[in-house]
Amino acid sequence: MNCCVRLLSNALTLQKSCSCTGIIGLKKRAPPYRGIIRNYTATQLGTIFAHSSGFGKCGVAVIRVSGEKTKQAMSAITKKKKLPNAKRVFVSRLWHPKSNSMLDRAVVFWFAAPSSFTGEDMCEFQVHGGPAVIASVLDALSSIEGLRPAEAGDFTKRAFLNDKLDLTEVEGLGDLIHAETEGQRRQAVHQMEGSLSSLYQTWTKQILKSMAHCEAFIDFGEDQHLGDQVLTNVVTEVKDVQLKIETHLQDSHRGERLRNGVRVCIAGLPNVGKSTLLNLITQRQAAIVSPIAGTTRDVIETALDIDGFPVLMSDTAGLRQSEDIIEKEGVSRAFKKIKEADLIVFLLCADSLKSSSKDVGQLIEKQAKELGLLKDFYGKQLLYVVNKIDLNMDTAQENSDNTFYVSCKNMDGMSSFLKHFSTCIKDLCGATSIGSIPSITQQRHRKHLADCAQFLQQAIDNFDLDIVIAAEYMRMALHELGKISGKVDAEQILDVIFQDFCIGK
Amino acid sequence: MIICTLHKGHLIKTITHCAKCALHQSSKGRDQGDNKKFDVIVVGGGHAGCEAAAASARVGCKTALITHKTSTIGEMSCNPSFGGIGKGHLMREIDALDGICARICDISGTHYKVLNQSSGPAVWGLRAQIDRNLYKKHMQDEMFHTPKLHIVECSVEDLLTEDLNAQLTETNPDAKCRCTGVLLEDGSTIKAKSVILTTGTFLHGQICIGLNTSSAGRMGDKPSIGLAKTIKDLGFTIGRMKTGTPPRIYKRSVRFKGMTEHFADNPSHPFSFENNKVWIAPKDQLTCHTTLTKPGLKKVVLDSLHLNKLVVEEANGPRYCPSIESKILRFNQDAYHCWLEPEGFDSDQLYLQGFNCTMPLEYQEQAVKLIDGLENAEIAQPGYGVEYDYMDPRQINQTLETYKVPGLYFAGQINGTTGYEEAAAQGLIAGVNAARRAKSLNNFVVRRSEGYIGVLIDDLTTLGTNEPYRMFTSRSEFRMTLRPDNADQRLTLRGYNDAGCVSNGRMINTEKRLKVLEKSILELKAATKSVSYWRKLSGMEALKAPSSTTVSAFHFLARLRDKEAAKRILRGFPQLTIADCDHWLFQRIQVESLYAVMLNTQRSQIEALQKEENLLIPDNIDYSGLESLKLEVREKLAKARPLNIAAATRVQGVTPSALVHLIYHIKTLQNKRNSTLL
Repeated sequence: MNCCVRLLSNALTLQKSCSCTGIIGLKKRAPPYRGIIRNYTATQLGTIFAHSSGFGKCGVAVIRVSGEKTKQAMSAITKKKKLPNAKRVFVSRLWHPKSNSMLDRAVVFWFAAPSSFTGEDMCEFQVHGGPAVIASVLDALSSIEGLRPAEAGDFTKRAFLNDKLDLTEVEGLGDLIHAETEGQRRQAVHQMEGSLSSLYQTWTKQILKSMAHCEAFIDFGEDQHLGDQVLTNVVTEVKDVQLKIETHLQDSHRGERLRNGVRVCIAGLPNVGKSTLLNLITQRQAAIVSPIAGTTRDVIETALDIDGFPVLMSDTAGLRQSEDIIEKEGVSRAFKKIKEADLIVFLLCADSLKSSSKDVGQLIEKQAKELGLLKDFYGKQLLYVVNKIDLNMDTAQENSDNTFYVSCKNMDGMSSFLKHFSTCIKDLCGATSIGSIPSITQQRHRKHLADCAQFLQQAIDNFDLDIVIAAEYMRMALHELGKISGKVDAEQILDVIFQDFCIGK
Repeated sequence: MIICTLHKGHLIKTITHCAKCALHQSSKGRDQGDNKKFDVIVVGGGHAGCEAAAASARVGCKTALITHKTSTIGEMSCNPSFGGIGKGHLMREIDALDGICARICDISGTHYKVLNQSSGPAVWGLRAQIDRNLYKKHMQDEMFHTPKLHIVECSVEDLLTEDLNAQLTETNPDAKCRCTGVLLEDGSTIKAKSVILTTGTFLHGQICIGLNTSSAGRMGDKPSIGLAKTIKDLGFTIGRMKTGTPPRIYKRSVRFKGMTEHFADNPSHPFSFENNKVWIAPKDQLTCHTTLTKPGLKKVVLDSLHLNKLVVEEANGPRYCPSIESKILRFNQDAYHCWLEPEGFDSDQLYLQGFNCTMPLEYQEQAVKLIDGLENAEIAQPGYGVEYDYMDPRQINQTLETYKVPGLYFAGQINGTTGYEEAAAQGLIAGVNAARRAKSLNNFVVRRSEGYIGVLIDDLTTLGTNEPYRMFTSRSEFRMTLRPDNADQRLTLRGYNDAGCVSNGRMINTEKRLKVLEKSILELKAATKSVSYWRKLSGMEALKAPSSTTVSAFHFLARLRDKEAAKRILRGFPQLTIADCDHWLFQRIQVESLYAVMLNTQRSQIEALQKEENLLIPDNIDYSGLESLKLEVREKLAKARPLNIAAATRVQGVTPSALVHLIYHIKTLQNKRNSTLL
């Protein structure tokens, strides 16, 4: 009995003393290309899709699908119960299988195995070349079960494995893959800097550590007396990461924005130039402008396309206390729009800055507070625009991250504001800041994250039944994350095991 | 000088059979006329050597096992146990290929226990404490009675080589010469088509206790210096590793009271698929004990540190088998676990597992007394470290044949592995392939997706190792498919058809066994009833809200944790009851049902991998000519010599574009070859 107690307490101290010996040598072993290599090769076959035409703006874009589920994918996205025969070309509307919204009208080419580029069932959607369209079709495809975004070189590899390529093609495609993967890696590294990167890294580390502890429990648990506490901790940790990833996924409604447009709300006090700004952005007289405060009473909505992304602009009534019933209603609608918006453009008049020596940020905060907007601003993307600097040149300062000094009248500062504005739109749609296309990488990120979260959930569900199955799901989850932020291999897991546990007999 | 080991004292001048032993002459006639020529020579009688020699003989080759001391054939020079997590998997696979160590463990064990029973059957570790003497006796019996196998007692001084013919130079540019036999210490030579070296720690072996070092492969045995020099002269890349063994304690000096006693499993799980039970009843088996060290130990270790050569030098030792010194230096815990394991039924000694040390003897004596229950312990044999040469395993291909010297194979610890099971697995593969080479047959390779043997050899030959390589279940990416229970399903048929190392008898038994299993599973899948029905049958509580969902018995079993409940369900199918093997059959069915859900996922992963494994890279590929690849990548590939594209992807630093260029190059080569043939 005495001995049992000692064993147990020893197991606990072991756990304590060992778990604090530092985490993972994540950087230690990972050569820069490993992630991509693993993606390129050891992935499951399955059905793949990718945007296959060139990058940049173009009239028509080609999206290819290859694999066993090609037919299902075509049916799901074209809503056709009966597909035309293979080798036929047809025109069809494309629909998002989940949201049922119409995406585009496309020319569809359909090739049955083995008479296709890859030797598998294949189809090509020729859609309009806007980045938003491409992104939304890719999003639609990724929502179909059994489909996954292609890894670099996947199509070529399949073609090659099915003896469909002649050698010159392989050579040429090799170079292309080189360009793509190098580019992708650079892009990934670029994107990986900053908060998102550290977020993914933390998750990877957390899963890797749990995984390693789980593996330690399997390979050494019994004869090394690691104790069940190890496993209990693993379950807690995994639940924690799973929740974090789920929350993260729910936070970004990028797919939705892509389909329905980014909701932008122009707000501010009366007569600061909100309607003028709307007209400038839409380049037409969408709203009536006059020097009279309170001209705009209702919400004026305009749908437009900014760099290929759908945007829903709302011009709102100037925010003030009013006795006028109509204006009162207009102001309350304005508040509602502010609540719903993805991006708020908050306008101020340069005049209002004159009297105050406080910095703009504080002033805006004061105004927002007075208007009772602080709560609604929280967590939203905000742009502050100080208008009418033509009236008050000395108030104009250097533009900062989210504050711009413009004159809607003589267009001063407008171009830099508009440039930033469109970047914000792209970001909200999940496009990268590099290049002008919606990032496939991002599309992949979302898919990988969702899969990762799902695998973690399955791991949690299986811990009680069979730890090997749970470990397998964790491995799959880690692999999904690894596709985003770099490869994880067995040696790395072993490294953690040996750092964290005193193992050996 | 050669001695017939069964009839010691009968000196035989030439290598022939002892006149007295009928069994030695099992293969009469043509063997006797040509007794200096063999198909395969195996140098070394350890675990790799025995498996290699036996496998080669099973393939049907006239095989010679040469050891400098026949009495040490089958010696367990380190721990008195076989199997464990990962290692048990290897043993099941060896057995599925009709290897010998599993069968011998089933008749030599003192304590059988499956590890990891709480963690899921895919990672169960079949393990047993083994009686050293029984194991050695049974192994020697096996070796001496294997048809076509000849045992020769003599030291091997050198390898016989001859120049290559032009054709071989072309297909393997690395080849220097061909191995054609061995030169013995007495000056005589033995010729063979293939030679397997399984010299373990005997190449430049050095034993260390404290600051004292002496040349020896194992306590009391001399190292192979001549052979080591020859290998060096041939230009092999050689590394150095260390390993250690703990002190042995006299049983009479141990106070067991207060220690935790561990009992054997009932029923005891046999290692071999051919056996339904082990030789000894659970109640007659010995027990093991665990205990803890006391706080004063740290001081002893620190005090003796300056007298401790191996610890000071930090050679490449295994992270998972550290000495008690390294544990204390790295982890600084208050207490460490120690195991007292029986050495055998007749032995008066215990093996102090977990207490490897290399400190001087007087300090060891102090140190063991700081273990709870060992206050009066007497050391029977001190712990010691061994430093030895190993060959960078990237110099051998997946059949374990060296690139440099065709016809020469390396197997076992010489390749940088640790453990009896890892050695035996390599021995078997080397033995089969050396024999197949002698008979001009195709190679036999176990793939990563087929078995832990494949994982072991693939890891070694493409990635190399810088610490003694030990098998873990986490090394395999297909853990749910590569299970101890289904090794026969994975490998026996392949061993029979593709390797020729499986006997007819075993093949018939295996087919019978698998047929019963398959039939049973089909039956269970066909039986579909409501969940409530199955719950009732299994003796579980009825659901509050009766469920109308129907599932098959097979499906229902997958989620059933309670073994007894599962048995109740299986007993509902009287057709499944086969006298004698119910227990193991039931167990297998349950395991199959448990993992059935995941196997589809795993299958597609395996298929993907196999497609890549089928893209073979020719042995004679000249990476230096592949100018489209970066120099760094070319060098790495040349060193790793991946067998196929799948292996190439695992080589560090190989980019996707490099792979495409590589594939392109292979295809060009193929096309060229095809067109020249036309």
